[in-house]
Amino acid sequence: MDFEPKIIVFCCNWCSYAAADLAGINRMQYPHNVWIIRLMCSGMVHPEFIMDALSQGADGVMVLGCHLGECHYRDGNYRALDRSDMVVELLEDFGYEQERFHLAWISSQEADKFVEVVSGMVNRIKKLGPAGG
Amino acid sequence: MGVTAAMEWLGSCSGCEIAFLNIGEDLVPLITETLDLVHAPLLMDHKYFGQCGEGVTLEIPDAVIGIVTGGVNNREHLTVLRQMRKKCRLLIALGTCATHGGIPALMNGQDQQASWQAIFKTVSTDPGAEIPEVEVPPPLDRVYACDEKVKIDMQLPGCPPNPELIAELLVAIVEGRSPVLPGKSVCDTCPARREGRSVVGKVKRFIENVEFDPGEPVSGMRCLLEQGFMCMGPVTAGGCNGGEGVPACISARVPCRGCFGPVRKNGNQLLDMMNGLASNGIDFKSVVDRRSILRFSGAHGRLRPLKKRVAKE
Repeated sequence: MDFEPKIIVFCCNWCSYAAADLAGINRMQYPHNVWIIRLMCSGMVHPEFIMDALSQGADGVMVLGCHLGECHYRDGNYRALDRSDMVVELLEDFGYEQERFHLAWISSQEADKFVEVVSGMVNRIKKLGPAGG
Repeated sequence: MGVTAAMEWLGSCSGCEIAFLNIGEDLVPLITETLDLVHAPLLMDHKYFGQCGEGVTLEIPDAVIGIVTGGVNNREHLTVLRQMRKKCRLLIALGTCATHGGIPALMNGQDQQASWQAIFKTVSTDPGAEIPEVEVPPPLDRVYACDEKVKIDMQLPGCPPNPELIAELLVAIVEGRSPVLPGKSVCDTCPARREGRSVVGKVKRFIENVEFDPGEPVSGMRCLLEQGFMCMGPVTAGGCNGGEGVPACISARVPCRGCFGPVRKNGNQLLDMMNGLASNGIDFKSVVDRRSILRFSGAHGRLRPLKKRVAKE
């Protein structure tokens, strides 16, 4: 059987979740491997969320936020950016490949970019295989 | 006579037992009136297989309170721990090895086979050295904390645990009340002066001296983390000062090493520390050998061997 990865996507309420919503309204096709979790801001994704997701069966984690400078809370996504460098480095310490984490900026109108980013992630994780395997 | 108690040590250094003996004046009433020690391999003569070796099965007497120190590193530890669980009504994990893996769990961060090879078979060892297989209990696949193997009723971390807290824990159990143990981080109990930002944007190594005035108390010293030293106070459970006063290492003007393990039971010291540094604009890449931040809490699968990267085609 083909490997169907499970990917947790943390979306911020103001931009990327709206983009995911728009993708649905537009009936755009994207892989069913993503589980979207809506948060108020990408800056509130504590690295522990990411590690917990991976250690409890997710094969990849994405954090999607507003474009830099467009954060509803002014600098939330800059925090997410600062942390993402650290998360990528630390993934290897905890025994995961760096590719299992992806950070992207998607505005509320970019439904096509949402589909593109998510499909790209699913393809990469499919090649990589299950986490912890 | 007091409440029966059994002490047992697994993969540990006996520091916790020394801390127990270090309770001071209160120790005498504690072990003569409050408790009745029935088994403690390190402190008294009670053997596993009968006093003259006539027994055939491992025997630990029944006790109300059981205290285990040390992590579970090999089969023998596992057998002893399970026996303790069977014989004791209340099992206490004492010390960071028992609660979070402690120093022995640093081994979890590297490949076990490679480690055995390095220890027994490298050029620096006697020629012909073999990895021992007989008369030595076989190691488990990694070092475990006690609560990964059996149910643990109470935990008191520390390397070593504070003697006052050990006494408080035991007396509270006997008196039937819940013990008053500190639940805050080292930072919460530290009086050093905090100004809210780091002086340097990166972490200094401890080959430089901390800036302080020896005549002044610790409350006059600038927070060590703000001075740029890798102080693990924010991510470490407090209690090394016995609940009040200056944390032990800070009182010696040395950064916290993290020996009480994470503040919350499931906390991850490495992740939380790095997150703290990154969110406060300190360059996390300036931390040398960051995996060693898990030096006291490497069990529970926190510390794992690094995955070898597969070369890309």
